Amino acid sequence: MTSVDEAFAPPGEAWSRVSPKLVIARRLFLALVLIPLVILLAWLALDDTVPLWVFALVAVVSLGLFAWAWWLIGRRVRSWGYAERSDDLLVTCGILNRRLVIVPYGRMQLVDLTAGPIDRFFGITTVQLHTAAAATDATIPGLTPEVAAALRDRLAARGEQRSAGL
Amino acid sequence: MTLSEPTAAIQVRRTHPITPIVQVARAAPALVLFLFFVSGQGDGGGATLLLALGGLLAIALIGSTVAYLQWQRKIFWFDTDGDLRVNSGILTRNERRVQLSRLQGVEVVQPLLARLAGMAQVKVESAGSSGDSTVLIEYLALSDAEALRAEVLARSAGVTADAPTAPEDVLHVVPTNLLVKSLILRGATAGLLAITVLVVTFSLIFEGPGGLILILFTGGVPLFTVFTEFSRFFDFTVARSPDGLRLRYGLLQRQAHTVPPGRVQAIGFVEPFLWRRFGWVRVHVDLAGSSGGDGQESVGRGVLLPVAPWPVALQIASALMPGSDASQHTWFRADEKSRYSNPFQWRQLAVAYDEQMFGARGGWLTHRTSFVPHARTQSVEVTQGPLQRSLGLASIEVHSVEGPVSVIGAGRPASQARQMADAQAARAEDARRDDRSTRWMAPPPTERT
Repeated sequence: MTSVDEAFAPPGEAWSRVSPKLVIARRLFLALVLIPLVILLAWLALDDTVPLWVFALVAVVSLGLFAWAWWLIGRRVRSWGYAERSDDLLVTCGILNRRLVIVPYGRMQLVDLTAGPIDRFFGITTVQLHTAAAATDATIPGLTPEVAAALRDRLAARGEQRSAGL
Repeated sequence: MTLSEPTAAIQVRRTHPITPIVQVARAAPALVLFLFFVSGQGDGGGATLLLALGGLLAIALIGSTVAYLQWQRKIFWFDTDGDLRVNSGILTRNERRVQLSRLQGVEVVQPLLARLAGMAQVKVESAGSSGDSTVLIEYLALSDAEALRAEVLARSAGVTADAPTAPEDVLHVVPTNLLVKSLILRGATAGLLAITVLVVTFSLIFEGPGGLILILFTGGVPLFTVFTEFSRFFDFTVARSPDGLRLRYGLLQRQAHTVPPGRVQAIGFVEPFLWRRFGWVRVHVDLAGSSGGDGQESVGRGVLLPVAPWPVALQIASALMPGSDASQHTWFRADEKSRYSNPFQWRQLAVAYDEQMFGARGGWLTHRTSFVPHARTQSVEVTQGPLQRSLGLASIEVHSVEGPVSVIGAGRPASQARQMADAQAARAEDARRDDRSTRWMAPPPTERT
């Protein structure tokens, strides 16, 4: 293991990973947003007197971007991981810009569980931790509702033990 | 009406009877402007002017009546639980109850007009996530305002209601000439002023008036910023009292703030390029319960000291964070390789920590040195961009509440950044267990002479 990876190494055996269903959910979301947009653009382009090669170029570029985003979603979701230690929670994510945030249980102010319509369809939930600092960004997407609720309850219990306050 | 009224035994207080007059007078400039505008319209005949005057009088009359009724309906008192209650409103009655155990601060502010009338506002801030956690009581005679402030503070600390104003001793007053010099010597201001001189010289040499319009901007903007900051921070006085550091400042609008040590979440020292050779520094603080727009305003945009020589700044910082001397840290310099990821500031990049707090410094022209006490560390983050990754570096970031101070240690060797983050999270957790600074009024101050 190189020293580069050491910085984002799991504290124990391995990171707890998020559900692969998140990949499907996010790809579906991407498709739902992009496909109507592309169709709209295509329709606008055909309506005018745009040379065919411009249209082809745009099509190739947007297809390429689509494929890239498709691939990126898979990698990004796989990069997500969290670990519960005795005193704090670790969350890591990111491929190009990697980050790892450590939140001591005593500093948690509240734990949010959210699930949008697509998330609910696939049965996944996002857990988000808030501290008094707005900069704290500890979000774990793509947990199954049972795992998410159990995690929230564990976090809340540990936070309670260590009593909050600023 | 189901709103609770005070029981007969409790004495209800009112704001000063002059309040409606001051409130109406506050609108006077706008009304005069309106008159000016209206009289300019039409054929400018006497009839138009008369009509405008009449309208103005009507508006003033309605305004005064509303202000008077509002004043009449506004009462405040301390209820049997010791909380501050404020009832107000003419048509929509409003009742507010400020839980003094959740008090974040009390301030006495004197806007210009109120100051001319010898009046002041009292702002009572309680902890709350919404922006509406401030109760404003205006206007009171200055001495009454100070007394109310002392009473609220004393009640929130559980001391008897009739506690005298906590005594204070003045630690430092920012000299006016230092303030002016420091404001002029800030990079952007000095740069624009230099450009102004250049433009003036050129237009004198070439006798072309073309550049003169430019002066309005290059000379006007710095003059404006210097003047606003000057009037804001004029006669900046820092005093120590048992309930915290007292700040008083302002040329036209006088403000008084108390910074309880327990509310300080982070402290930052900023040295603009031209200040460094004089050893001057500006001190910022992040305070709990005052994030966001209104909160920043509440302690002069987070400024604890607009300008001071380093020794004074350190002395005042140590009054807020006893037991830790910001000048005595051993700084761990950033890795040599950080010259590629942070070419301008890599020599300055460093982190430090001791028993009390974690610090980081950086900056190229403007040097910034920031500290977060372990007991105030909310979370710790390690970040790594692609460039840092190829160099084997990472940044460590210690989060405190929102405010002007941020603590980021860039250019650390990656594995060391992680170890530091783990260690800092552990220190934060340990410090939390035996932290007593939130109960800042409970223990008798021991180190006072």
